Order: sequence, then structure tokens, then C-alpha cells
Amino acid sequence: MLDILTSIIIAGLTTGALYALATVGLSLVWGSMGMLNMAHAAMLTLGGYAAFSLSSALGLPAVVGFAGAVLAGAIAGGLLYVFIVRNLLNNDKATFESNVMIATVGIGIALENAILLTFGGQPLKQPISATGSLIIGPVNLPYQNMLIVIVVIALMALVALLLARTRIGRAIRATAQNREAAQLMGVAVNRVYFQVLVLSGALAGVCGVMVSSMTQLSPPLGNDPMLKAFIMCVVAGLGNLPGAVAAAFGLALLEAFVQYAAGARWGFPSLLFVVIAVLIWRPAGLFGRAQIRRM
Amino acid sequence: MLNRRAMLHGFVGAGAAGGALLADMNRTAKAQEGEPVHVGSALPMSGFAAADGIEFKNGLELAAAEINAAGGILGRPIELHIEDTKDQGADLVSQAMQRLVDRYNTPAIINGYNLGTNMIEMDVAADNDIIMMHYNTLISHNEKFKTDPERYYGSFQGDPPEFWYGPGCLNFLKTLSEGGKWTAPNKKIAIIPSANEYSIVIANAIRDKAAEYGFEVSLFETVPFPTNQWGPTLAKLRQDPPAAIIVTHFLPQDLAQFMVQFLTQPINSLVYMQYGPSLPAFREIGGASINGVIYSTVIGCLPDEFSKAYRESYRAKFGPNSAYITGSQTYDGLWMWAIAAAIAGDPGEPFDKEQVGKVAAVMRRNVYRGVNGTYRADPAGQSAYCYPTQVADPSLGMPHQFLQHQDHTTDPKLIAPALYATDAFLLPPWIK
Repeated sequence: MLDILTSIIIAGLTTGALYALATVGLSLVWGSMGMLNMAHAAMLTLGGYAAFSLSSALGLPAVVGFAGAVLAGAIAGGLLYVFIVRNLLNNDKATFESNVMIATVGIGIALENAILLTFGGQPLKQPISATGSLIIGPVNLPYQNMLIVIVVIALMALVALLLARTRIGRAIRATAQNREAAQLMGVAVNRVYFQVLVLSGALAGVCGVMVSSMTQLSPPLGNDPMLKAFIMCVVAGLGNLPGAVAAAFGLALLEAFVQYAAGARWGFPSLLFVVIAVLIWRPAGLFGRAQIRRM
Repeated sequence: MLNRRAMLHGFVGAGAAGGALLADMNRTAKAQEGEPVHVGSALPMSGFAAADGIEFKNGLELAAAEINAAGGILGRPIELHIEDTKDQGADLVSQAMQRLVDRYNTPAIINGYNLGTNMIEMDVAADNDIIMMHYNTLISHNEKFKTDPERYYGSFQGDPPEFWYGPGCLNFLKTLSEGGKWTAPNKKIAIIPSANEYSIVIANAIRDKAAEYGFEVSLFETVPFPTNQWGPTLAKLRQDPPAAIIVTHFLPQDLAQFMVQFLTQPINSLVYMQYGPSLPAFREIGGASINGVIYSTVIGCLPDEFSKAYRESYRAKFGPNSAYITGSQTYDGLWMWAIAAAIAGDPGEPFDKEQVGKVAAVMRRNVYRGVNGTYRADPAGQSAYCYPTQVADPSLGMPHQFLQHQDHTTDPKLIAPALYATDAFLLPPWIK
């Protein structure tokens, strides 16, 4: 029974780590900029393909492929700011949230189709992956799952440190709390937005590599993690980073246990049930605060 | 003008028979000089089934090139038009088909498969009076045809319905066990369908017939479609190991992940999968983990002498990793329709019920030996017959092929039915 329980927990933790990584990138942008980045899924896919191109097509070491994914995601985030977000911010602030959501839907579709045209629709194997398992008595720990959990925890710690202990992090938090006040205090808000999108893009790039190492590369790769990330954000409270990570691991473990106990097909509906329940009883999310908008 | 080289290409590439027939009919016709015949195809060129969509397109292109080299249809070259059905479904597929008719006036649409359509393709074909051939592999095609054979006269399913996978798979396992090639540790089988019509019909057919073949269903677990996190399902399998695991989900990438995750803690069960292992993506993603996997298909290019020219042309044109086993479906479909159109004297055009009806009548009458085996339309449902489960005569039914991946660096081996088998079954490496 121990090995069965362990394998369910491992499945839950691995999925939770992937959800958390996708969620953090999305939540960071939402929390600090009020921007729901609908192109996040495509940026995630871009990272996966960047790693594939460097490691498989060009034959470079896995580390270079991984770094390439981070870089590709970061550049995509930077370009998104330069060409889209900056211009939308210059327009009417009241309509920014809806405008940027529509604009990023278009960017996401265009990017996904660009990947489709470049690489084709055939599913591909992500070369950056680990094989084998660590066997401790009846417990079997696949290296690939361990790698994902370790990389994600390390990245979460780095993001937390960046936000809590650095000048950039303070500026991000200040902008997230009150954009106008931060601007009056001398924070270069536009630069903060740029940095947040670059950081979010880099995280999406890593997430793309991790997800595709457990599944496969295909142009719609990012859509499922993006959907799950959105669920985690809603459950945790949009923009709440620690809450989003906790929700990601908690809900992934719940999903794994439901899949085992009730059947695999009930996993996703159980997540949706939790979302509905949270929206009824805690509309601001489990860890979110009620938001008051002054007209 | 049809030259000797083109003629030879037509003969050889088409697997001889089709090319010879068309070339004879075209003896006086001048290829490429007539008005083109527009043939449409609504294929999943992007989305999760793109791997198959690409191969379906390849099969059509190869067939069109060979038919045109043999003189086209009574001197009229075929011009292909592809519409992307993306993630499929009734709305996208019907719109794509209607666009083909509206834009190009296509008298025929040769599809691969499209999922979740509720066989709306048959309504598009009926409403426009065109021939529609598809490889959805669904019993619902037969059921819909039966409701109004006069209306659906132009709809043909190029292969047997998926139902026949059920009894075919059980018969295969029983034969393997009785032949002493595999010692089943118990009588249990675990069935894992995904949430789509094709997968569930097969799983239900296996479950309903299991007792007749001496098996007991120990697990029936429906997984989401698509799916790639197999952890909880594998935990259940490991808790109560069956003699055979039958996965009727069919996406190659998901099935490859099943094997990768299964082999971290394998159990002494045979692993049988549906269709997906025939695609290159399964081997590329799964690597050595897929060695030993058995799969079957009721439609696929047979690795025999007859199809050799086709297989060589396909790989020469589309690369060494291309899946001729999938492209062969639309390849045969286009050849079959082109010959019928030539015999009928003209392919017709949309809303020309009289002429299109003549083409359909030839398709019903002809027995066509293609690279996938024999197509003979079952008059009750206008699908192919299945050999050996449905008909005992291999010249009148399409073979239900069982293949095994014995070395992931090479093509899978055909291990049943015995009449067509090229290799013997090997015990999978994880079974101790």
C-alpha cells in the first residue's frame, strides 16, 4: 500500500510543481500590473521549443537548451512589453485591463501558429529529460519527477527572494500595491512592468521545458497548464503569489487522489467544483482580500 | 502527353492494379490537358491530431501525383485542396467541408479521420450531393447510413467500424494464450478508454465480450482526452495486476508517456494499445520504453510485396520517419474514388445527383485491393468488412492487423493474422 500511496503523492507533487510554475508567472503579471496575460500559454510553448531547437536540432548540451528556454521566454516577455503593453498603457487607463487581455489573446494565437508553421504539428520529444528512478525499499522515485519538483522549488525560492529582498522586488511590490503612489515615490513604473514581463516570460520558458519533458512538444502545449494556472489563480485570489503556489500543490494533490479514488475522469471536474465553491463562498479567493474600486 | 516513365510510375506506385486500370481507361486521353478535377480533404492539420493529419495529406498527395501521371481521371488531372479542421468537432469539420464545396466545387471529399463530429460529414455530403470517403472508423457511420440509405448514398467509410476491435483483440489474446506463446498469470484484463466515442465503443465491446473469451474485467478506467498524467491510473494497475492492459485511448504522445511512466515500476502484464503506436511520434517520444507493446489497427498499410512500391515512394517523398501506415488510408481512398469516377465516365460535380450516384454505385460494386488490404462496401452500412472477425475470406475483408514494437529503432512487426504475419510474437522485456 505504501508504494501505491507514494506513487499518487509523487504524481500529485509533480503536477502541482508544474501548475505552480505556470501559476506564478501568470499571477505575478496579474498582481503587479492588473494584466491577464493570455499569451502566457504560447510563451510557455515557445520555451519548450527553444530548448528543443538548441538541444536536439543543434545538438548543444542540455544546460544550454535550458538557458535558451529561459532566454526565449524572457525576450518574448520583453517584446510583449515594448510592442504591446507600453502602447496600451499610454492609452486610457480605465480600459487597459480589457484591452491588454484582448491584445494578448491575439498575440498568443499568432505565436502558437508561428510555432506550428515553423516546427509542424507533429508531436516531438523534449530532449531535456531524466531517465531512471531512485528506489528506496518499496518506494520508487523517478528522477524526472524529482528534477521537476526540485527545479520548481528552487525557482519559487528565487522569485520569493527577488520579491522580498531586492530593490527590483520592492519596486514590483510597491507598484502592485498602488501604481500611482509608487510613481509619485519615484518608482519607474514602466520599467517595473518591463521587468515583470521579462521575469514572467523566463518562468514560462522554464515551465515549457518542464511540462514538455513530462508530455511532449506540440503547438498547443501551453494551453492546458494555462487553464490550470488560471484555476489556481482564481482559487488562491488573483495576484496572490504564495497563495497561488499553495493552491497549485493542494489542488494537484486533490486531483491525484480523486483520480485514484473516484476515477481519472473526475480529476478535472473536481478542480472546477472547488473553483465554483470558492467563487460562491470566498469570491476574492482563499488567500485574497476583497477589492474595493472607487469610481 | 503520357510518357513511358509516367506510365511506369503510375503502374508501380499505385501498387500496380489501380495504375494499370486507370492507364488503360486513359489510353486516348491526354493527361494534364483537361479541366482539373478538384478533390477536397478536411484534415486535422493542427491541434492534437496533427501527426495524423500530416500523413493523411501526404497519402493524398502521393495518390494524386500517381493518378495524374497515369493520365488523371479520363484526362483530367486531380487538384487537391486541404482545409484544416484543427481540434475537430462537428462545427469545424462541417464548415471546412462546406468551404471546400463552395470554393472549389469538389465532387469528392476524401478525409482521414475527424473526431467528435457525430458523423455530420454524411449530412454535408448528402446536402451537396458529393462523394465523401472517410476513415473515422465508427459504427455510428453504419447506424446513420441505415437510417436513410437513399440520402447518404455518397458516404463511404474506408475501413471497418471500431466495434470490431473488441472481439478482434480478445480473440488475439486468447489465441496467444492457447498457443503457448504467452502464459497469462490470471484471467484479468484492465481496460483504459479515454473520453471519446471511438475509444469508448472499443472499450465497451471488449468489456461486453470479455466473458465469452474467458476473461474477467478487473478495471475499467476512463481517462480524460487527451491525457498524459498516468500516475493514479498506474497506481490502480499496480495494486491489482491484470494479465493484459488494454488501452483504447489512441493519441501516440499520450501512449508513449504511459509506457515511460509504466516502466518505472512495471508489472507482469501484456500491454495492448490502440492505433497510436503506429505513428512515428510514439517511437520518438517513448524510445526504448515502447519495446514489447502490441497494438492493432483495422486499417493500415500491409508490409507485403504488393505495397512495397507504395512504401518506398512514400518514404522517398516524405522522409524516412514518415508514417506510410497512416498515409495509406487516404492514398487508397483517392485511388478507389478516382477509378470509380473513371468507370462512371465522369466524376460529376456538387448537386449533380445522377452522375455522383453513378460513381457511388461503382464504389459499392467494386472490390478494391489497395495497400491496406481489401475494401468491399458492406451494403448495410457502407463500411469495409473486417477480416477475420467479420468475414472469413481475406479477399473480401480488410485485415485486422496486430503489430508489436520489438525494436524501437525499426518499424513494428506484423504478428497477426497468421495469413499476413511477417514475424512471431515476442514476450515483452518487462515480463519476468
